[in-house]
Amino acid sequence: MSDGQPINQALLFQGLRWRLLRNSWRLMLGQSSMRPFTILLVSLLVWMFVFGISWGGFLFLKTEVGVPLEGGIVGILLDLLFLSLAVLLIFSSGLILYGSLFTSAETAFLLARPVAADQVFAYKFQGAVAFSSWAFLLLGGPILIAYGLACDAPWYFYVLLPLFFLGFVLLPGSLGALCALLIVNYIPQRRKQVVGVCLAALALALGVWIYRMAQASPSTMWRDEMREAVTRLFSYFTFTGSPLAPSHWVSLGLRRALRGEVGSSLYYLALVWSNGLLLYLIAAVGSAWLYRRGYNRMATGGDLNSAVRAPRAPDKGGVPLVRPKKGTGLFSRCDRLLSAALPFVHPSTRLLIVKDFRTFRRDPQQWGQIVVFSGLMLLYFTNIRRFVENLTAPFQNSISFLNLCAIALLLCTYTGRFIYPLLSLEGRKFWILGLLPVRREQLLWGKFAFSTAGGLLIAEFLLLVSDFMLMMPLEAVLLHMLTVAVLAAGLSGLSVGLGACMPNFRETDPSKIAAGFGGTLNLVAGLLFLLLILGLMAAPWHAYSLLAEAEMNLSMPLAGVGVGLVLGLAVGVVSVVVPLRAGIRALRAMEF
Amino acid sequence: MSFTAAAERTMIKLDRVTKQYGNKTAVHELSLDIAPGELFAFLGPNGAGKTTTIKMMCGLLFPTSGAVLIGGHDLRRDGDRARQLLSYVPDQPFLYEKLTGREFLQFIADMYGLRPARAAERIDEVIELFELQEFVDDLTERYSHGMRQRTVFASALVHEPSVLIVDEPTVGLDPHSVRRLKDLLRRQADRGTTVFLSSHSLDVVEELADRIAIVEHGRLIACGTFKALREQAAVDGSLEDVFLTLTRQASETDDKVTK
Repeated sequence: MSDGQPINQALLFQGLRWRLLRNSWRLMLGQSSMRPFTILLVSLLVWMFVFGISWGGFLFLKTEVGVPLEGGIVGILLDLLFLSLAVLLIFSSGLILYGSLFTSAETAFLLARPVAADQVFAYKFQGAVAFSSWAFLLLGGPILIAYGLACDAPWYFYVLLPLFFLGFVLLPGSLGALCALLIVNYIPQRRKQVVGVCLAALALALGVWIYRMAQASPSTMWRDEMREAVTRLFSYFTFTGSPLAPSHWVSLGLRRALRGEVGSSLYYLALVWSNGLLLYLIAAVGSAWLYRRGYNRMATGGDLNSAVRAPRAPDKGGVPLVRPKKGTGLFSRCDRLLSAALPFVHPSTRLLIVKDFRTFRRDPQQWGQIVVFSGLMLLYFTNIRRFVENLTAPFQNSISFLNLCAIALLLCTYTGRFIYPLLSLEGRKFWILGLLPVRREQLLWGKFAFSTAGGLLIAEFLLLVSDFMLMMPLEAVLLHMLTVAVLAAGLSGLSVGLGACMPNFRETDPSKIAAGFGGTLNLVAGLLFLLLILGLMAAPWHAYSLLAEAEMNLSMPLAGVGVGLVLGLAVGVVSVVVPLRAGIRALRAMEF
Repeated sequence: MSFTAAAERTMIKLDRVTKQYGNKTAVHELSLDIAPGELFAFLGPNGAGKTTTIKMMCGLLFPTSGAVLIGGHDLRRDGDRARQLLSYVPDQPFLYEKLTGREFLQFIADMYGLRPARAAERIDEVIELFELQEFVDDLTERYSHGMRQRTVFASALVHEPSVLIVDEPTVGLDPHSVRRLKDLLRRQADRGTTVFLSSHSLDVVEELADRIAIVEHGRLIACGTFKALREQAAVDGSLEDVFLTLTRQASETDDKVTK
């Protein structure tokens, strides 16, 4: 019989986390000193790259453009940055926490033991928030440090920076956790629909905002002086500066620290921490009431999605006795259409592509995000004519390039968030694929083809809408289409290849795989590739057109555009071939 | 403690427990009284409600109606005290991949509040009992199925539970390990631990169980000693024959009721 002496469960779980981290680190060091070294080096390089770009940007704004960095415009940008981060963190920590609280094997193990529900919640909460926000620390940290350096910030700005950040992540993290607990407890059967409706509502709000921006005095907007136009544009962002928004408190607190107003900065820091801790306390107390109840509801009534299951004979061993009917719904037709559209692909590869598509379409959390982002972009593109009724050619030129950049970023998100985890998600069942009578490289080529085709379909459509609305010349449209094709193929090659080089078969949550080290490395590699391709393939033509329009002496002949195109295509080929070859090598060497 | 003397008291009590999954009733008004030191086997076809019942006994799921009591503690109202008394070994046991076997045992001992000296003593005992010495300081991610199963059993017994709930323990074990497991379960019951065993290995159940319960479609169709079950089924064969006869009779009765 156990002694039953009271134990500090919080310390117990901290000890567990410490041992797990220590053992993982030792294992990594023991296997190869190259891996931790590479992780550190790459992290440092990424950090320095972001820092360099940000510092240069801030100095340019300060000295060349004359924007006061401590002023309102940068303040609005910071407000927007932290508000976007808050929205992302609510969704990502909520989804990660939902997965780790209700569907992981570890929680079933813990809940069958005499541990308090709120202690399990706290342990899982810390992991989820750390997981969903560490990438921001890597990418957001250097931006804010560069901001401080560009403004000659006092030393305590750098001390307060991590404190503000840590306090801030508590708020969206706790809100996401509360949402997960409430949804599972009160609407377990419709939890996916609720997430979908929330995303749609968010998209709608953003859409209305964009529409209102487009409606407001479009014909005069660009005739004004640049400064006035920018001021008017920023007036549409004032909602980010609501005095009740915690993102505004962080932004304000940091700017006060920058100006040397320590007392005021500490006031905002206290505001952020006290609200963050209060919300965390509410979530933790709520979990003591709701966690076990929600687990029970999830396990018994929350998963009634029978549409994809084969009909079963009534409880005779749980084995389907009736063959599943051949699907006649829209989605099943899509599967068959996809299969029929790929007659040139090897039958085995075709089957794998259809399998990936089927898995993807059955997960609304995945395609829902793509639909929302694409929908928003489409809304903006279709309203663009309101902006550009009297648009001069240079603005038309610049906006089309910026739209191309936005589409490229959407592609980068799509491949990083959904394609990179594909191979890892095969998980412990990977041996099934490993034993199939297909060459292992076909697995990767299948995923590459799936990713490229999906990316091309979405991106080329958006691009055509944008260029049509902007009335771009044919040569520009063709150039953009080629750029997007190279981006779709290159980003797919990177994501599929790196996904095979750094698989994580133990993780079942795609958002955790994408937010892990490999996923972040893939995202950064994708962003660098994107910058390179846009810089080589599209930027020269746009620069050439701008200069020609201004009737300036062309220091860059048109041949430069051609050279950029050739170089871009070469980089595209390399970014497909090199990662995929590395992935294939890793896959061949993989043991099951 | 002799089984007959202990039968006066109840260690596990299920009082008219019903569990519904939406419109489907997984467990229907199930009542069981299991005494300290009893080795109780729980049988039934796939989907009969065995795992649901076990999960309710561990407090992972709540009954839709009725109550589950462990050592007199209602799992719904006094869950932590009830769980303090039991150990659950599921059909797919969980181990932290990045802990060594010894660290895992220490974690479990700490979780159940064993004093450090007692914890060290018990950990050494279970390591010896389950012959974990050769690999207990390796990370569990390197363990074979048998090694994992032995480690999980060691962790289940490290705090000397009053109730041991075991779901399909023999799956994937070699004959030597199965023999060792059978000896262990019998020894635990003889020491006074209530063992609740769910298994499809009818030969193991026939050899070990003091009493056997059979469920079909969430209903208890038989409960008693092997001898009593044979009489109920009017079969003079093995437990397999008895099981097949009783479940077939229950299905036929169900069909008649449905018609």
